[in-house]
Amino acid sequence: MHRFKEVLDNRHEYAKNWKARTGGKVLGYFEPYTPEEVIYAASALPVRLLSRHEPDDMTDRNIYASCACARDIVNQVALGRFDYVDGITYAEACQWMRHAFISSQYFQSFSYTCDIFVPDYVDGHRSKDVMYSEMKAFKKSLEEWTSNTITDEALDHAIDVYNTNRRLMRQIYELRRADNPIVSGAEAMEMVLASQVMDKEDHNRMLQEVLKELPRRSHAGYPGPRLMLVGSPTSDANLERLVEELGAVVVIDELCTGSCYFWNEVIPQEDRLLALSLRYLGKPHCALKDNNWRRRPAHILQLYEDFNAQGVIIAKQIYCHPHGTDNPHIWKILRERIYPFHFLERDTTVPEREMKTRLEAFINLVEPVRVKLRG
Amino acid sequence: MGIQRWEIRPLEVWAKAKEMRAKWQQSIDDAEKEHVLLAQGNCNWAVGFPALRVIEDNPVGAMMGYRSSQFSRECRAAGEILGWGREICGYQLNCWGAMYLGYQMDGSKFPMRDMVVPFPDPCDQHTKRGQAPMDYSNIPRWQGDSPLYTGPHDPERDATMIENKVGTTLDIIADIERIYGQIFDDEKFIESINLAHRVREYAAEVCLSMQHIPAPLSQKDLYSFYTLGGLTKTDPEETVELWRMLRDEVKWRVDNNIAAVGTERYRWIEAHPPPWYFLRYYRYMEKYGAICIGSQYSHMMGGPFEFKEDGSWGPRVPLNSWGERPIKTREDALRAMFGDDARGHNFKVDEVIRPYAICEFAKAYKADGAIMPLWRGGVGCTVTRKEQGLRLSEIGVRVLHYEGSQPGDRTDQDETRLLDMLDVWMESQGLRKLED
Ligand code: SF4
Ligand code: SF4
Repeated sequence: MHRFKEVLDNRHEYAKNWKARTGGKVLGYFEPYTPEEVIYAASALPVRLLSRHEPDDMTDRNIYASCACARDIVNQVALGRFDYVDGITYAEACQWMRHAFISSQYFQSFSYTCDIFVPDYVDGHRSKDVMYSEMKAFKKSLEEWTSNTITDEALDHAIDVYNTNRRLMRQIYELRRADNPIVSGAEAMEMVLASQVMDKEDHNRMLQEVLKELPRRSHAGYPGPRLMLVGSPTSDANLERLVEELGAVVVIDELCTGSCYFWNEVIPQEDRLLALSLRYLGKPHCALKDNNWRRRPAHILQLYEDFNAQGVIIAKQIYCHPHGTDNPHIWKILRERIYPFHFLERDTTVPEREMKTRLEAFINLVEPVRVKLRG
Repeated sequence: MGIQRWEIRPLEVWAKAKEMRAKWQQSIDDAEKEHVLLAQGNCNWAVGFPALRVIEDNPVGAMMGYRSSQFSRECRAAGEILGWGREICGYQLNCWGAMYLGYQMDGSKFPMRDMVVPFPDPCDQHTKRGQAPMDYSNIPRWQGDSPLYTGPHDPERDATMIENKVGTTLDIIADIERIYGQIFDDEKFIESINLAHRVREYAAEVCLSMQHIPAPLSQKDLYSFYTLGGLTKTDPEETVELWRMLRDEVKWRVDNNIAAVGTERYRWIEAHPPPWYFLRYYRYMEKYGAICIGSQYSHMMGGPFEFKEDGSWGPRVPLNSWGERPIKTREDALRAMFGDDARGHNFKVDEVIRPYAICEFAKAYKADGAIMPLWRGGVGCTVTRKEQGLRLSEIGVRVLHYEGSQPGDRTDQDETRLLDMLDVWMESQGLRKLED
């Protein structure tokens, strides 16, 4: 299990080794709307540019405001941490990430940059045509960049590898529905984060091994109140760890770096790019793209019930406008059902003492006297 | 050496703009009484429906910020306690806060929207902005998209993206007809498209005239007309007439060297909307003989511009790419409205995707400096602002950044400090106040 965290912590080395091993190119991406299968089929490694949430004295000249998730990517680019990344692509989602995509190019020169339009109206019956056309343009430009032809066979293989990964991650998440889950929230988050910076075939192998070992794991006993994590994405498991150290357990998340990343599969069809278009448009709605047909609230409630949660932590990054705009409705639906929730705003780093105090109070509210409040 | 002094005169057509704006406000306030539906959005086609009026929270929220900081603060508080982030666009918070409170600034009932058709994409906040009234009162919402791309011309991408816009709009119109039983008047819509092209042509001429020294208008003047015919939907013919009058008056001012600021000796540009509650800073800069000749944002009314091969500055896409072909159907009208090039129709391209494009803008308008607010609220207002500042500095345009909450939100604006900063900045460029 610790191997996922190791890869995550050493993701730059992982990617460099992958390059040395395969001679392939690494394509960094910013948003989960990037059709990774197409990249994979071009024999390049798609790597999500994850932030590290370190104090930053590099990006102030270039960026004002911006959530720490987007800003910190630029910080890392500026520090040269992504020097192995050959190209970057931005599939239209949040504007702060677009900013990161643009600013990154002032700090590092990439041999390939690509901008993919992804409709905000993901459910529009005409949206798939735009997504499909963007997918074709993306495929063509990747072929030119990598000098590899993306064949149907390569796409089939990529879809199969990615769908397998999604199924395996779902199996891990399913284990968390148990009364005494044998996988903690922090572990699960590290697994899914690692999947975004690894070759999925490697990740699949690791998942298969872990799934074999897990039944032998002993239950730690009653894990404490079951919490759900909702909100802006994050790229570490610090919050989950903090919650779990306080005697509660995060049983499910609705983050775009977490469950939303792998929740739905590609449903194969003759036209591979169309199948991929539908998969990416059909992802659980992110806060920005949850508009006409509101699906996010229902999805959150469904997860809450399926995973038998007892409370919700809504963690928002400061300057995260998609969530800042979507939250009122999420608060409302939780209040209507009397589901306890706590709203946390996160900044670049996690102020541990302060968060601990607040989380202790919340956990006590969900299950009185679970945490002995410090005087 | 004495200071050059140009003749100044008030802009005559301004009174007409004010009157039209007031008429529009009245039409919104009377909508319920007159049994007219109110759509939240942009809906350039709304004129085809006999009983539909359009309102955007953009001008509404800005106007609230301008008129009463206290009321807009109350509105934002009403939103914040429901979960809205402080960093959300102040326009939205002003507007929807008033909806939560149930009343407007003058105490009258808040005009509830009957439907939402958000104007998508230029800023993420536009995409999400219609969410609040829909979530609050369970009204229908139609989302469109504004697909665009950058890079080399790609006919396939163009065709698909334009098709998406045309098709989605046709669907929305058909839905509204079906749901509300209103028959869409194609002829009226077609006529309005023909007129809209003329508005755009006049607006482009007005923008181009700002290259002249002395500038015939100031940014404040431009903003008096900015929304008319765009976000503020007024009678199409009256709107064209207004813009024609403005174009003529501006042309006359250029021909006769009539200035907006008689002592013009320093030209500056800005970015995105100004602090509506503190427009006094424009006047303050005039003490230095400094004039704001606009921003990419305010010049958006004339469309995106670029340097042509002969060195002239002109519209990037043909103002009427539909050309002389007759517009016969609703679909034709929509195609004429959207044009046939999905690149660069949207100011997002210049403001966000090409932060260096501001250098062309600065050169075209002979700018000496740029004042670039850094707004904490919203995203479109601030995204890439510092990159733009860096790019401008590289070409020798002096840049001043200052911080605040958002153009419609006075909360974090330190006005005294801003004036001090302006003094230091101007003096650092060797300029002193001409009068006090
Ligand atoms: S969705 Fe929120 S957290 Fe993610 S990049 Fe955008 S602002 Fe940042
Ligand atoms: S650009 Fe600024 S004012 Fe306009 S919607 Fe976005 S945040 Fe609001």
